[in-house]
Amino acid sequence: MREVRSMKTTVIGAFPKISDEPGGQELRRALHRLDRGEIDAGALDAVVEQVTRSAIAELEAAGIDVINDGQIRWDDAFSPFARSWEGVSRGPLERFYDNNTYFRQPVIEGPIRTGGRTLVHDYEVARATASRPVKAAVCGPLTFATLTAEDRAYGSLEERTLAVADALADEIRGLGAAGATLVDVEEPALVALPQHVELAREAYLRLASAGVDLALQTYFFPADRILEFLASFPVAQVGIDVRSRDTTALRRLDAFRDKTLVLGVVDARNTRLESKAEVAALIEQALKLVPAERLWVAPTTGLEYLPHDVASKKLAVLVEASRAAVGVPA
Amino acid sequence: MTDAPILLTTTVGSFGKPEYLQKARNQFAKGKISASELHELERKATTEWIRIQEEIGLDILVDGEMYRGDMVAYFADLLDGYKEGGLVRSYGNRYYHKPIIAGKISRPNPMTVDWFRYAQSLTDRPVKGMLTGPYTMLDWSFNEAYPTRRDAALALAEVIRQEAEDLEAAGAKYIQIDEPAIHARPEEIDIAIEAMGIVTQNLKAKTVSHICYGDFAAIYPRVLALPVDQLDLAMANYEYRWLDLFDKDPFTRELAIGIVDVHKHELESVDEAAEGIRKGLRYVSAERLYPHPDCGLKTRTVEETVAKCRVVVEAAKKVRAELRAKVPA
Repeated sequence: MREVRSMKTTVIGAFPKISDEPGGQELRRALHRLDRGEIDAGALDAVVEQVTRSAIAELEAAGIDVINDGQIRWDDAFSPFARSWEGVSRGPLERFYDNNTYFRQPVIEGPIRTGGRTLVHDYEVARATASRPVKAAVCGPLTFATLTAEDRAYGSLEERTLAVADALADEIRGLGAAGATLVDVEEPALVALPQHVELAREAYLRLASAGVDLALQTYFFPADRILEFLASFPVAQVGIDVRSRDTTALRRLDAFRDKTLVLGVVDARNTRLESKAEVAALIEQALKLVPAERLWVAPTTGLEYLPHDVASKKLAVLVEASRAAVGVPA
Repeated sequence: MTDAPILLTTTVGSFGKPEYLQKARNQFAKGKISASELHELERKATTEWIRIQEEIGLDILVDGEMYRGDMVAYFADLLDGYKEGGLVRSYGNRYYHKPIIAGKISRPNPMTVDWFRYAQSLTDRPVKGMLTGPYTMLDWSFNEAYPTRRDAALALAEVIRQEAEDLEAAGAKYIQIDEPAIHARPEEIDIAIEAMGIVTQNLKAKTVSHICYGDFAAIYPRVLALPVDQLDLAMANYEYRWLDLFDKDPFTRELAIGIVDVHKHELESVDEAAEGIRKGLRYVSAERLYPHPDCGLKTRTVEETVAKCRVVVEAAKKVRAELRAKVPA
């Protein structure tokens, strides 16, 4: 049993908000009704919280050790911040990396200011609901800064990235005060645009000043070009996709001497279901270079890229494979 | 030579469905009306759109895609090897059934030819055959069956080639094979080019490919190797910034240029749209420049669609008149 405790399963990013099952579309319906003026924001909130509770219940029932709130309220990676931050608005739609999923590009209209409580309410709801540890999440400063459509406040990508990092540090401080002990920073831009890795590290020094453990989550692209560099980031955890594309990362994990690695071992962007054996083999390979107490396993990115029923099956494979890899009978 | 048509106007493909058709599609989904009842209403809506396009004065028409839900699922439903997937969110509160490639892809029957024939029978103006390209079909599906993305794209190219050749045999003078996902992974553009080569290799019809969203700069100028006659690009939504790329690497294809933004309700002025055409004329001659709205219009209402298309036609008329005035008598 101790070994099971030492290697943990987790999830990153958003969980499917609706399902194809009867009764699984309440949030979709509530948003339509809000648009038509049939319900108010309070009634929508109640539905968001109900869907959040069922996402948490499902993650816990699947056996995920460290969960999140499923980001049920998030329209995209930036929407909570672009809605609440002073100086930022939501601009035109654009494709989110290589997904047939779209986001509103942030528009920076003036200096960014935040009270740092953007995510606090949702985090508190999740914590009150969950019986397992709940981590929080923010978008990555480089991802925000590189996907900004227009910036009328800062003169360069460098200035913009650091200004966003300062605002995110305020959010992380707020989450820490609300009891969060681990915050995911979702940063696909770092592996999409590895040339900015030094700028990113400077930004993460600002995030780290909030005094809460951070998990740098990279996804969508291999981290091969900057893998060793990531070991120098001021974060407690580094997340890497070792499943969905060809990568040499699994052979180079010994670059990380003190950080916990969060390995994406089931593909969250393809419905093809991995076998328990193939996922366990990935984990066993990682365990040769990383001790179990510094290894967490997860889907490669947010499960919202999959239909709900497939997302559930992926969680089951993740948990079964992680148990098999550390020798616990299923 | 001075009689050669210039600045022919067209659209990208889809139009909004009239309310009676939306209602009928819902009723059909619930089993309350039959497939033939729905089909009759789709034909009625198609006829209306052909009439509207003629009345507005568009030069190259489309059938408006009254019978399609979305541009990938429509074909996936009709191809063997695909199975329907569950709901996945695309943005905001919009979801779609993302199809799954579950086995070997084949085409049991033509998929769009009857609709093309029907639409073309209603008008003397050319109607475009409208297909989704193999790379986009792949990128917007889950691939469970083929070992690599290239394998799946090439298998899809083969069935889309069959469909394109059937459209040509049915009389299509223009065949559009859309690749809006072509820049999803810029490093894979050679796969998209290879797959498109399979589709267009035997065609004599004019071939067009529509590309939208995403970072066009990341695939330019490599995209000029896409084997089609005409590239069809959203420009208004991007404030024509892609044209700057043509300063360094000259644009070598015909250009269908988007001069009204389809993702906002506000209507552009004719002057604003005409200015978009003039910008395009700096890089592409009037014989090879086709003004149109940025993208498909299915998310707009019928009224907004008509208004946006009218702006395109009026802007083209205005610039045509300017060009003719410059030609010495």
